[in-house]
Amino acid sequence: MRVQNIKRSSIWKIRLSTATMTLIPAAVGINYVAKAFAEGLKLPVWLGTLGTFLASMLAGPVAGAISGFINNVIYGLTLSPVSTVYAITSIGIGIAVGVLHAKGWFSSAKKVFVSAIIIAIVSAVISTPLNVIFWGGQTGIPWGDSIFAAMIANHIPVWISSFTDEFILDILDKVVVAYLAFFIYRQLPQRMIRFFRDDK
Amino acid sequence: MNEPNSILQGSVAHRGWTSVIDPVTKLLMALDLALLSFCFTNLLVEIALVFVALVILLISKAGKSAVHAIEFSSFLIFTMLIIQGLFYSHNQTLLVSVVGIRFYQEGLLYAATMGCRIFVIILATSFFMTTTTVSENSKYLEQVGLSYKAVYVLMSVCYILPEMMANMKKIQMAQRARGINQQKTILEKIKSILPVLVPLVIKTLDQSMERSIALRLRGFNSPHRVALKSANLYRHEMVNHRGLSLLAIILIGWKLWIIGSKFI
Repeated sequence: MRVQNIKRSSIWKIRLSTATMTLIPAAVGINYVAKAFAEGLKLPVWLGTLGTFLASMLAGPVAGAISGFINNVIYGLTLSPVSTVYAITSIGIGIAVGVLHAKGWFSSAKKVFVSAIIIAIVSAVISTPLNVIFWGGQTGIPWGDSIFAAMIANHIPVWISSFTDEFILDILDKVVVAYLAFFIYRQLPQRMIRFFRDDK
Repeated sequence: MNEPNSILQGSVAHRGWTSVIDPVTKLLMALDLALLSFCFTNLLVEIALVFVALVILLISKAGKSAVHAIEFSSFLIFTMLIIQGLFYSHNQTLLVSVVGIRFYQEGLLYAATMGCRIFVIILATSFFMTTTTVSENSKYLEQVGLSYKAVYVLMSVCYILPEMMANMKKIQMAQRARGINQQKTILEKIKSILPVLVPLVIKTLDQSMERSIALRLRGFNSPHRVALKSANLYRHEMVNHRGLSLLAIILIGWKLWIIGSKFI
């Protein structure tokens, strides 16, 4: 009996299938609810990228990037208009998660930690110029901004201070979100994972 | 088949002048105002732009959501004034000293200018938000050539959120009935999220699977699909789009020129 390998589509597929089309709004919804949870419990993290992580893990980097982009656009048009520009950061996060997941960097708890650090670096590198342009370098999280204030008070350049502020917050947020996504992904039924992954 | 249009026309007559401007023009207006605020660094010009955006918002009789958005950003603008007033790198001229804490003119001006920019963006976007509806935007975007798939994704986001909130409340009530309460430490709090978040995520993904199957069965991807043609109720669309797009390009070019000339 000959066993034929299943030919998978590339992780960079751009065509919007019906499965991806319905996954993206769900991912945006998950981002919204997770963010509301974090704010409700007064956690020092945002959790607003959980849906983007899951979309990237389930349907690849393109789906994740679109989810992140739409999430920020909708958030910008309903709550905070300035957050629309952070759509660029969300696209970066979506792509990073999708690629790392496809390369097997979400397969064990140890690897997830490394992935979270890489994603936090991607996020901080993209967000820092936006923070400097729109908020003079601040992030809006009081304890992160107090570090920023202490650094610029000691004449450390704004870019380094802002990057440090953003990176410290990002590393905490992305580690928590990466482990949450890893945990939830492992709870998902196989039929669901295959449905979103193999849809062409 | 005239009924939907007559309903729409009725609402146009009721809603006044804002309804003859199409959604893309409104978005481009918001973009141009935001770009204008970035091209200038003078506080007085920024205040004038805030005033212009405020007047547009007020004469369109729409302002409640703007108040909410301003509240959302006010705290950050306030902290920006304090941090930049105290520690901005170009601080030289002492403006005021409160209980030994010195606020400098340069930092306060810098933070005030950026605060005004944020207000311009909020007010200009609020005009778009309060004068358009989800269905109007989606119909128009499809009309101007955006793929129906992209329009479906954008529209369904707006409808999925209330559904998810309702699901979340149900799950929270069920978990509370089982005795799961909020915890004190951060780790306990994160752990307490799981009993609500995991079922909610799985339920949401399950529903999107069902929706996807339903779409396929209804022939959503059919190549013979036809689009609904609706009457055009907007005025001077192409002129507005081209004019405002050109202005946006000029403003971006101008800003880039200013940035570039600093390095030459």
